[in-house]
Amino acid sequence: MFRYTLRRLPSAVVVLFVASVVIFFILRLAPGDPAAALAGPDASTATVQAIRHQLGLDQPLITQYLIWLRGILSGDLGNSYILHAPIAQLISESLMNTTELAIGALVFAIVGGGLIGYFQGIAKRRASQATLSALTSFGIAIPTYVTGVLLILLFAVGWRVLPAGGIGPGIRDFSLGWQYLLMPAIALSLPTGATIARFLSASMRQTLDQDFVQTGIAKGIRPSRLMIGHVVPNSLPPVLTVLGIQIGQLFGGAIIVETIFAWPGIGQLLLQAVTGRDYLLTQDLLLIAVLVFIVVQLITDIVDAAMDPRIRLERA
Amino acid sequence: MSAMIPETPAAPMSSAAGAEAAQPILRVRDLVTTFHTESGPVNAVRGVSFDLMPGETLAIVGESGSGKSVTALSILNMVRRPGSVESGSVEFEGRDLLTLGEKDLRVVRGGGIGMVFQDPVGSLNPLMRVRDQLTEAIRAHDPVSKAEAARRSVELMREVGIPDPEARLADYPLAFSGGMSQRVMIAMALANRPKLIIADEPTTALDVTIQAQILELLAKLNRENGTAVILITHNLGIVARVCQRVAVMYAGRIVEHGAVDTIFTAPQHPYTRDLLGATPSLDRPRSLPLVAIEGRPPSMRTPIVGCSYAPRDPRAFDRCWVDDPKLQTDAAGHSRACWLHTGADGVPPRELEATAELAEKPVSTEALLDVQDVRREYSTGRRTLFGRRTQTLRAVDGVSLTVNVGETIGLIGESGCGKSTLGRLILGIEPPTEGDIKYRDSSVVGLTGSRLRRYNRDVQLVFQNPMASLNPRMTVGRAIGEPLRLAGESRAAARKRVLELLDLVGMDAAVVDRFPHEFSGGQRQRIVIARALAVNPRLIVLDEAVAALDVSLQAQVINLLRELQERLKLSYLFIGHDLATVRHVSDRVMVMYLGEIVESGPAEAIAAEPLHPYTASLISSVPEPDPVRERTHERIVLSGEVPTPINPPAACRFHTRCPIGPMANPERSICATEKPPLIELAPGRHVACHFAGELSHVGVRQAEVPVGLGPVRQTRRVDAAR
Amino acid sequence: MTATPTTTALALAPARRARAGHSGLMRGFTTPSAIVGIVLIVIIFGAGLLAPLISPYSPTAQGPDAFLPPSGTHWLGTDEYGRDLLSRVIYGARQDLIVGVIAVPIGAVVGTLLGTIGVATKWLDVIIQRFFDVTLAFTGLVMGVTVAAIIGPGLAAVLITVSFVNVPLFGRLARNTVRSLRSRDYVTAARIVGAPPLRVLFRHVLPNALDSLIVQAALSFSLAVFIEGAMSFVGIGVRPPDPSLGSLLRTSITFLSRSPLYAVAPMVVVTALVLAFNLVGDGLNKGLLKR
Repeated sequence: MFRYTLRRLPSAVVVLFVASVVIFFILRLAPGDPAAALAGPDASTATVQAIRHQLGLDQPLITQYLIWLRGILSGDLGNSYILHAPIAQLISESLMNTTELAIGALVFAIVGGGLIGYFQGIAKRRASQATLSALTSFGIAIPTYVTGVLLILLFAVGWRVLPAGGIGPGIRDFSLGWQYLLMPAIALSLPTGATIARFLSASMRQTLDQDFVQTGIAKGIRPSRLMIGHVVPNSLPPVLTVLGIQIGQLFGGAIIVETIFAWPGIGQLLLQAVTGRDYLLTQDLLLIAVLVFIVVQLITDIVDAAMDPRIRLERA
Repeated sequence: MSAMIPETPAAPMSSAAGAEAAQPILRVRDLVTTFHTESGPVNAVRGVSFDLMPGETLAIVGESGSGKSVTALSILNMVRRPGSVESGSVEFEGRDLLTLGEKDLRVVRGGGIGMVFQDPVGSLNPLMRVRDQLTEAIRAHDPVSKAEAARRSVELMREVGIPDPEARLADYPLAFSGGMSQRVMIAMALANRPKLIIADEPTTALDVTIQAQILELLAKLNRENGTAVILITHNLGIVARVCQRVAVMYAGRIVEHGAVDTIFTAPQHPYTRDLLGATPSLDRPRSLPLVAIEGRPPSMRTPIVGCSYAPRDPRAFDRCWVDDPKLQTDAAGHSRACWLHTGADGVPPRELEATAELAEKPVSTEALLDVQDVRREYSTGRRTLFGRRTQTLRAVDGVSLTVNVGETIGLIGESGCGKSTLGRLILGIEPPTEGDIKYRDSSVVGLTGSRLRRYNRDVQLVFQNPMASLNPRMTVGRAIGEPLRLAGESRAAARKRVLELLDLVGMDAAVVDRFPHEFSGGQRQRIVIARALAVNPRLIVLDEAVAALDVSLQAQVINLLRELQERLKLSYLFIGHDLATVRHVSDRVMVMYLGEIVESGPAEAIAAEPLHPYTASLISSVPEPDPVRERTHERIVLSGEVPTPINPPAACRFHTRCPIGPMANPERSICATEKPPLIELAPGRHVACHFAGELSHVGVRQAEVPVGLGPVRQTRRVDAAR
Repeated sequence: MTATPTTTALALAPARRARAGHSGLMRGFTTPSAIVGIVLIVIIFGAGLLAPLISPYSPTAQGPDAFLPPSGTHWLGTDEYGRDLLSRVIYGARQDLIVGVIAVPIGAVVGTLLGTIGVATKWLDVIIQRFFDVTLAFTGLVMGVTVAAIIGPGLAAVLITVSFVNVPLFGRLARNTVRSLRSRDYVTAARIVGAPPLRVLFRHVLPNALDSLIVQAALSFSLAVFIEGAMSFVGIGVRPPDPSLGSLLRTSITFLSRSPLYAVAPMVVVTALVLAFNLVGDGLNKGLLKR
């Protein structure tokens, strides 16, 4: 198991590295000079030059890239020049908030999606199968921004039971904070949950067709044991894979949800960085987005292999 | 270790003495199972009835679509949706299983009746250790502790002949070979000492020598424990080896049911007789063509009027078309469902004509293909850091053979022996790592582009799986015409030739606009043959070309191949794993083991007098549709698995399994140290063995006319104009 | 006469109506879910296509009365600048049509080409695979944000994002499908009967690969609508005053209590559109699997 993990690491590191290069150099392609923007339209060339030097923009690109890398590895990320605060602090605060949101969403997605998927998988009557299937189709299709607005419309504007936005006290006081978490977490969880449900039910129906299920029946074991011991474990791998992909894509969903609900998370921060043309902040945040994706992929791979001995021994 | 066992299958536990003892343990009456598919109902089982005595071994024989597997599943009420058992009764130990609730049924399943399925690899949960799957089977019926169940599992594994059981139990199924997995399945079925084991095609997915091991195991369990066995199969040879009684199924019904000897020597139903006639066997004269039953089984979607077999039997008369014959039992306990009058020898046979030409086929000495010491290696195993692989697989390791004009060379071996790879090398699909391949005296190794395409006009290939060899989006006409158009023919000329070819393979001109999925396996294979013939090849390589077909379809295609060979002066390289079929078709046979040729010679001689112990084992393993021979002849059962070609045994590759080698006779260490060369022991007979000829008595002496077939007329064949 | 089956044997075979080679696809298009999807697409995209003809007002024409309720002259009422909501929604749908029709095919073609080329040449394959890996790491909206950071927000950013997102999707799919098809027996058979490699590719491999590519196309359109909406929603997509379903939705939040219809209208249309393409994709998938 350990060796399998080791084998997967190199390619992940390579992708991360290439992504960092891409992020860095592509952002430099953007027109406009951040130093000039910072200095203002009336500043003299000398002022602009000074600012450029201060920001390290007059160094060759490669050096700038390496400085950036070094900064990341050492934890010194500099300051955001539009928000006037240390980047590291900005990132850690918003990351915490987004993590709270993500965990809430995942709980809903896994529990809800898992239950619906399970029942859809074993549903015998065509009517119940069709209803659940329509439900999941809808859940996958409805865009996060629609869900969010709809939720606000219903529960904040229509029936005034939940706050329309903001994070409130957050996790520091969860007994109050949950009200603020509820709607954004549901909105974020819907596509993931529906996808889990769909994949789980499809996977289960496929597993039920397999020969070893027939063997289980012929052995005379109890149906509950057949389901829990044989069917579910064999149905999980594709679900886990897709869950991994979904988690990786949560970042994009978070951008939307945080915008709608004014949730001070990392997605909101990224938008501010981009619209304010703060390249340093943008670079760091994009790198985090990519890092999250890659790490989640890696973990998914490892869990897959832990569950299925065939993968451990086959994949080189 | 290998064993030599002369054996007889068990007599039923119930002896003649005492009428009370002669109570059937299973009584099936009027079983009807239908599949309610979206496109309409399919009547898979249309009324099956039979009794099973304690300790009896019954074979249910039939081709695909006969309903035999569905019958087995119906007994335990395990038919999957959309199928359901519509009516009938299955009495086991006094209760009708079809009326039992799930809870009571579960007691029977795995308890009173155990079941073994066809595909051993897919039938085991890949994510669960073998030990857990076995203990689960035990504890479902007997609430013992896990430790006790584990102990019993070890015993069971030993009983089914798995070496090193404790270690094997901790493995996952992926570590098991096909044969081993099947043993585990049998162990699971056996776990609770059932009175009956139902085995659905248990050996179809296995190699011949492994098949022999499993059949041996089933026979032993029947002898020693008195467990009754219902064996579902399409292979008449297996039936003759293991079973006492046989029920032949056709179109969802039993058409004949009786003692194994009677069925094989005096079959009472035309289908049984024709099926026997269509099965190649080692002692059938090669000049006698196989019985190719015309047509196809009836559709099971519409009700069948009259006898289901009438359309395919030229002897059917008026009553057969109108009246449905029911199964009737005669005084000797033999049942049949047929209106034809039968004599003492059973149903009057079809008229068969032996073509004298086939017996004395003129074989030229002009060499068409000359393969010289060819090797093919693959790099395999784990990838190192630099992308290199760690192991070498020698699929073909020094093979030489020649095919003369008009000859059929048979190449036989089990999985992993390299025969398919050799076919690909000859076709130029892959290049050999070493060695030369000459066609008409010029080398064809390393040809590319248009030169390779020109070579392929002379040498063609027919694959095993007819569905996979045809592009599902191309019409039949287009598929056959493609090689012609590529060779530059005009559309009109190509069309004309396509029609000629279709006629040549016996298909109607109307099929040109149809798609492959509309045809049966046998018909598709004919389309593939037509396509191969389009470019007027001189040599066709047939890679397991008939292995995937039902017996009757196999017979059709084999007869077609022989006819074409005569008409068009073709040569064939016939690659297969079934010795009886290969012998029937070939003039000379080469036996392959782990990438090497171990024996070669005329087909007749090899079957009659094998010189290499592996050949002898193959012959011994092939179940022959002749119960008397099966009971009396010496059985050589090889131990162990078919080794992989990655790390073949040193010196003689067969020595680890050889029944006369160092494993059996320790003083014969030469087999493990010195590689036996392929030498010509007699004119035309080559063997690679230090002790060649010791087991030659295992071979088959050809009978005058094999039992079960009618009188043979000798005729001269008029060579039809081309 | 040797026992060779005659042509009468064929007469006994159950007759089957000859079906077009694309039976799987045709069957897919006629499943109920696909039909519903197609109808929705035709209505919505049709409206978008014919927007200049059928739209009652110009989408950017401001009017005197803000937040009018639905009436005979304004079927959906007006927005905060007095612009007709219905016209804005129709033109919003038109935006999605433009994005889908332009960006998806570009991404699909480029992706498929790259994926297919990769199968042929080993060393190129490694590079292309890494390229896909990196591109995939920039999921949906993150890619959009990156593009917007470089060239600035706008329709162009949306188009580029959607194209880029589709390249690895189609590329991976094409590569895997072609690889598995290449080892099929009938492809080997085609080579043996003398077909040059290019012909094998175009006559045998690609047509059979088409099925899964078409299913992916349906899903990609759905994704395109989603991305356009998302980018416009967060402000980096279509710029005001041009209407987009996403930006309409964004503005509607502020006015939820005054005019819920302002939110509901674009909600319904964008959801219907995404759902429609998903349904078509599902239907096609089912139709193809049943073969």
